[in-house]
Amino acid sequence: MTLTVADGVALSPTTTLSVAGIGELVSSRDPSGTLVCYGLGSCVAVSAWDPRTHAAALAHFMLPTGSGGGPPVKFVDQGFERFLDAFRKLGGSPMRAEVKAVGGASMLTVMAGSLDIGRRNVQAVEAHLAMSGLRLAASDLGGSVGRTVQLAVGSGRLLIKSVAGTRTL
Amino acid sequence: MTLVAGSALWQASLTTVFLNALARAGEALVVMSGHEVAVEPARVRMCSVSEVVADTGSPDAVVAGVYVGITGSLHGHALLLLSPDGARRFAGLMLDGILEPADALAGPDGDLILSPLQTSALQELGNVTITACLNELGTYFEEPVHPTVPQGMVEMAGAILDAVLMDLVTDVDQVLSAQTRFHIGGQAIDGTILILPDAPSLARLAEAVASHGR
Repeated sequence: MTLTVADGVALSPTTTLSVAGIGELVSSRDPSGTLVCYGLGSCVAVSAWDPRTHAAALAHFMLPTGSGGGPPVKFVDQGFERFLDAFRKLGGSPMRAEVKAVGGASMLTVMAGSLDIGRRNVQAVEAHLAMSGLRLAASDLGGSVGRTVQLAVGSGRLLIKSVAGTRTL
Repeated sequence: MTLVAGSALWQASLTTVFLNALARAGEALVVMSGHEVAVEPARVRMCSVSEVVADTGSPDAVVAGVYVGITGSLHGHALLLLSPDGARRFAGLMLDGILEPADALAGPDGDLILSPLQTSALQELGNVTITACLNELGTYFEEPVHPTVPQGMVEMAGAILDAVLMDLVTDVDQVLSAQTRFHIGGQAIDGTILILPDAPSLARLAEAVASHGR
């Protein structure tokens, strides 16, 4: 069985998909748009949606810290401000926004003790939210399941799909 | 001779390695399952992670995977990926004689959950095939290549791969992929074996393969 975004109950046939790959960031004010992160494991997706302007942004963070090049939000420490900047450029106010976070799973128990990247990603996101004076409106973090997230730009509804089923934040 | 990791000659050498390894794995699977087993020649290539994900359909395509860590002369990770249905059929054949076939294959069509016994059989399948590959790679080194305990799961392909790549992402953007097809008891089941050495191990492997050919 393949779970695809077309299965999402929140999507209309005319929706415009913008996909944030690993370390990438997408944003939109198109009310028919949907921002997507597929197959999150240890990675963390952070979304921001402004209920007044309907500006939306979604970042797919891969690692808590790092240096060097690569995609814009590969590392939380380097990418978090870029994420907020992209949101502001579309007229979003971080202080007014509904900010949500999903992911940070520990998929491989064999590796978990030595790396625990999922937990460290979650801690890094929480630290940068606090530094920015922001609070999570909702979250689905940790555990041991993979997740796909879809942010509906028009409504701010965040759909989370996993092997176990679908839920909305 | 310098053999560059990822070059055509290097891939040809590794194809031979995988063919030998999968032949060994096939022999072991015959003993385990009691069924006739054939393993089709593998398509071996170095490719990007996004290409691997594309092979599975999409990052949120659900697959049955077995993870094995690599230690010893090489360091890194290895994965066997199958469709959930393929994994269930494989498990049914391996559990034939232990459980009634109907019990071994229990679960409605499209069911993504494997029973503990099916998961155990899947882990053993991954253990046998991946260890055969690692043993073959180990023949190029003075010290053996060791596998860790296998972990089986049914999960989104992207989620499994991103968990593994976290450990490698700072220095590796290409992985070693071998796509193959198992024929067991008259059934054809597609599978992909991924060997993901860290950067120093990849360089060491290229050097070892080159030395072997001198």
